Amino acid sequence: MISKLSKQAVVFSAFFLCLMAAGYAGEKSRDPYAPIYTKPLSAESLKDPLSRLIELPFKLIKWPMDQGIIYTENHRLDKKAKWIYERAVEKGIKPLAGGSESTLIPFYGAELNFMALTKQKEKHPDLFATTTILHGPTSFFLVGSEIGADMIGGSGFHASGFFQYDVREKEPFYGIGPKSSMGDSTSFRMNTTKVGTVAGLSFSPTVDLSSVFSYKHVGIHNRAHDGKGDMRTIFAGQNIPGMNGEDLLDYELVFNRDTRDSQDQATKGSYQKLSFKFTDGTGNSQARYFTYLLDAAKYFQLASPRRVFVTRFFTEYNQQIDHGNIPFFEMVKLGSSGTFPSRSQTSRAYVYNRFYGEGAMLLNLEYRYNVMQYKDFKLNTALFFDEGQIFSDFGKICLKYFRESYGVGFYLSYAKNTLLAFSVAHGNEGPQFYLDNKVAF
Amino acid sequence: MNKKGKRKTENKKIRRGAWLVILGTWVFGFTGIAAAGETVKFKESESSFYSDLFDQNIYNEGVNQLDLGRWRRKLFGKELSSKNVNLFDEVPDSWFFKNRQGRERLSAEALEKGYQETPGPDLSQPLRVTAAEQRGMYPRFWATDARGDEYLLEFDPQGNMELVTGAEIVASRFYYALGYTVPQFTLLSIKHDQFQVAPEATTWEETGFKKALSQSRLEEYLMVLPQNEQGLYRASACKIMKGKYRGIFSFESRRKDDLEDPVNHRDRREIRTLGIFASWLNHYDLRESDTLDISVEKNGQIALKHYLADFNGALGSTQEGPKAPMLGYEYTIDYGETLKSILAFGFREKPWQKKWRLAGAKVSGSPAVGYFTSDLFDPARYKTEFPYEAFRLVTRADGFWAAKLLVSFSDEDIRAMVKAGQYSDAKDADTIARTLSERRDKIARFWLSRANPLDGFSFSGGKLFFKDLAVENGFASKEGTIYSMEVVPEGRKKKILRTETKEPSVNIQPEWIPAEGEVKILLRVGRASSKRLSPAVTVLLNADGIQGIRHED
Repeated sequence: MISKLSKQAVVFSAFFLCLMAAGYAGEKSRDPYAPIYTKPLSAESLKDPLSRLIELPFKLIKWPMDQGIIYTENHRLDKKAKWIYERAVEKGIKPLAGGSESTLIPFYGAELNFMALTKQKEKHPDLFATTTILHGPTSFFLVGSEIGADMIGGSGFHASGFFQYDVREKEPFYGIGPKSSMGDSTSFRMNTTKVGTVAGLSFSPTVDLSSVFSYKHVGIHNRAHDGKGDMRTIFAGQNIPGMNGEDLLDYELVFNRDTRDSQDQATKGSYQKLSFKFTDGTGNSQARYFTYLLDAAKYFQLASPRRVFVTRFFTEYNQQIDHGNIPFFEMVKLGSSGTFPSRSQTSRAYVYNRFYGEGAMLLNLEYRYNVMQYKDFKLNTALFFDEGQIFSDFGKICLKYFRESYGVGFYLSYAKNTLLAFSVAHGNEGPQFYLDNKVAF
Repeated sequence: MNKKGKRKTENKKIRRGAWLVILGTWVFGFTGIAAAGETVKFKESESSFYSDLFDQNIYNEGVNQLDLGRWRRKLFGKELSSKNVNLFDEVPDSWFFKNRQGRERLSAEALEKGYQETPGPDLSQPLRVTAAEQRGMYPRFWATDARGDEYLLEFDPQGNMELVTGAEIVASRFYYALGYTVPQFTLLSIKHDQFQVAPEATTWEETGFKKALSQSRLEEYLMVLPQNEQGLYRASACKIMKGKYRGIFSFESRRKDDLEDPVNHRDRREIRTLGIFASWLNHYDLRESDTLDISVEKNGQIALKHYLADFNGALGSTQEGPKAPMLGYEYTIDYGETLKSILAFGFREKPWQKKWRLAGAKVSGSPAVGYFTSDLFDPARYKTEFPYEAFRLVTRADGFWAAKLLVSFSDEDIRAMVKAGQYSDAKDADTIARTLSERRDKIARFWLSRANPLDGFSFSGGKLFFKDLAVENGFASKEGTIYSMEVVPEGRKKKILRTETKEPSVNIQPEWIPAEGEVKILLRVGRASSKRLSPAVTVLLNADGIQGIRHED
C-alpha cells in the first residue's frame, strides 16, 4: 500500500517535472516558429543601475508632467482654452500678452472691441471703437481708446479719434548723444496722456496717407530704481530738455505702403513709412521742432521661400526750429529688440533706450532661413547685424560712433504667427538676450 | 500503542509525505499559472498624443543622452540583440504577434479579408449613434448595430473621398497579414437615414466641451461629410473589441503586471521592426497612444492582447487630408535635422523639400491617393512622428527578418490587400499597389544588402541547402556571388575549415558533426559589387539536422 502510494507520487511528480522541463528548456523541434529559446525569456532592466540613478531626478518630474498632459488632453483643456479665446475675440474681447523689452516679465492685457461687444459690427462694419489695456508688471500700464470709421461712404477715406494714457514705471536714461555711458545709468517715471484725431485716405489695401493731430501731456518724475541714479543728480550739469515734463501739440503726415505677405513672418514684399511731423509746445513748454522719419524694409527671397534676406533702413531726425528744444523723451532711441519701435529702435546688443539723440540712422540686415517645418509649425534661424548711430546733426555723423550688433535668433511660428522669438546679440557692451512673441520687422 | 496501530501511524505519515511531494510538485509546477491567475488585475496604462510627444520627443531624447549603456554601444559599435527570437531566429507567436504570412502564404481572399469577426455593421436597422467626437471639421461616431456590436466610424474629408477610409482599411490588412493584432476594420457605405441618435448619446465638440448629442447636431455633422454619387457616406468601421480596456502598450518597457510579457518591448523584434513596416505603409503616426491593450478570457485564462489601432495616417493620408510633405521624413521635433539645417545656413535642401519641389509643390496624386509615392523614398531615413528608441535599435538581423517578411508579399498579394480599400477608380488602387510594391523592394533591397540574406535552410544528404533572398528577389545578381563557409566544431572557437562555393548549398562532412553537441556552420555572402563579405549567419547542425539559426546583428 505504502510502496504503491509512494510509486504513484514519484511517477506523477517525475512526469510533471518532465512536462515542465520541456516547457522551459524546450525540445529542439523543427517548427521554426516554436517558442524555444536558448535561455528562458526573462525581464531585464532597460538601463544599467548608474544610468537609472542619473535619470531618477528627471523621472520625478516626468510623472507629474505626464499626468498633467493626459489630464489636459482627456478633458480637452487645450481645445477649451482655444474656444474661450476665439469666443472672447468674437464677442469683442481680445486677450493680449507678450514680452516686455525693459524687463523679463511678460505683459498682459486685452483689446475691447465695442462694436462687437454691442453687437453692432454687422450693422456698421466700417465703424470701429476699441479700448486697449496693457499692464507690464513693474514696467508699464497703458490704456488707449480709438473710435472711428474706415472706408467712409465706400471710399478709402478713414477718420478716427483717440485717447491714450500711458505710465512707464522705470524708463532708463543714459544721457544724450552717441558718447553716453552705461555707467551714467538713471531711470525715470513717465506718464503720458494723449488725445488726437486721424484722418486719411487708403489708396489701396497697401497704400495709405494719413494726417494726425494730437495733444500730449507728459509728466516726468525722476526716481532712482534698482540701483540706478536720479537723472537730476547724475546729469546735474547738463541741459536735459523736458526733464520736468511737457505739453505738446503734434501735427503729422504719414505715408504708409506695405506689401508684405505677412506682418509677423514676412517672406516677401516690403514696407515703407514716411512721416513728417511738427511739434509745438504749449503752456510753459519750449518745445518746437520738425520730425522727419523714414522706415523702410525689403524682404528678398533667396531662390527659395525658405531663405529670406531682410534689409531695413531707419532714419529719424528732429530739427529744432525757432530756438525751440526737443524734449529728451521725444528723441530717437536706440537699443533692444525694437519690437515696440515707438519706444526704442532695433539695436540688439544694447539695452532698451540705450542711446538718445536728435537724430538716428540705423541699418538692420537679417538673414532668416527655415530650419524646421512640421505641418504649420516653422522654426526659422536668423543671423542679424544692426548698425546704428545717434547724432545731433547730420553733419556730426561720424564713423566711430556707429554701434554694431550681431547675433542669432530663433523664431518659432505657427501659421505665420510668431509664438516665440529668442535672440542673443553681442556688441561692445556685452551680450543681450531676448525672449518675445513677435519679431521686430 | 500496538503494532497495528504503529503501522497505521507510519502508513499515515508516509501517505502524508507522498501527498506532500505531489502537492509540492504541483505547487512548484503551477507557480506560473497561479501567479498569472493572481495578476489578472492589469493596470490601465494611460497615454495621449501630447504625453507621447513629451515623453518621446522631449523627455526620452534628453535622458537617452544620459544612458551610459547607450553611449557604450555607440562608441564600441555594439548592437542590442532582440531578446524574443527563438532558436531559428524567428519570432514565436505571442499576444503581440502571430506568424501569418511568415508561416504560410495567405490566400488572396484571406489577405483582402484581414481580421474579421463579423461582415461589418448590421444595417438591417439604423445604427444607433451612442457617442461622437468632432476633430477639426469632421466628426467620428461610436455606433451600435442591430446585433449589438459597437463600432467606431471614421469618414473622409471633403474633397478627398476614399482617402482616409481607404488608408485605414488597407493598412489594417497589411498589419494583420504581417502578424500584428488589429481590430476588425470594414468599409461601410451608409445612407443618411441609417443613423439614429441613441438616448443619452454625447459628443465631444471641437470646443472641448462634452454635450448631449441631438438628432439636429448629428445632421450638422453629416452635412460636412462627403457623399458619393448615390448619396452614400463612406466610413471605415472599426469594431470595438470585447474585453476590458487596459490602456496602451509601451514600445519601450514590458508590463510588469503581465506574466506573459517577460521581455521589454524595446527588445521585441516585432516591436522594433514596426518602424520598418510603418515606413512601407507610410504610417507616419504610428505611436504608442494609438495602441490598445485589452484583457480577454480565453480557455479560462485571462490574457492581455496587444492591438495596433488607428491607421488613418497611413499611405497618402492624414485625418485632415493628404499628407503634408515632411511627414515620414522628420520627427515632430527633429533635433538632428534642425541642427544640420542650422549649420548649413539654409543651403541644405532636406530630402522632403527636394521631393516636394520636384513634385511642383503640390499633391499630384488623385484625391483618394493623397501624397504617397516611392520617389526619393529612403528606407534608412524614414521617421515616424515620434522617435521611438525601439525603432532605432533595429539590428541587421531584425532588418533581415522584416525584409524576409516583406518579400513574402508578392505584387498580387499587395493588390489583394489594396482591393480591400474598394477604390472606385481602379487607377487609384493600381497607384497605391504599385507604390507599395516599389517601397517594399526598396526596403527589402536595403536590408538584404546590409544583413546576411540567406534563409530557407535545410539539411539532407550531407548537404546544407539555403536560399539567397537577395538573388531570388532580383536585388543581387547570381553572377559574381559567392558563399563562404566556415566550420567551427563544438566546444572550439577557431574554425577548422573555410571554403567558398557559388551554389546555394554546401557539403557537410560527416566527421564535422559530433556525436554529442553541434557543429557551427558560418555562412557569409560575397558579391562582385562589394569587396566585403556580408555578416554571418550561423547554422547549428547535428546528426538530427538543423538545430539553430542565428543571423549576425
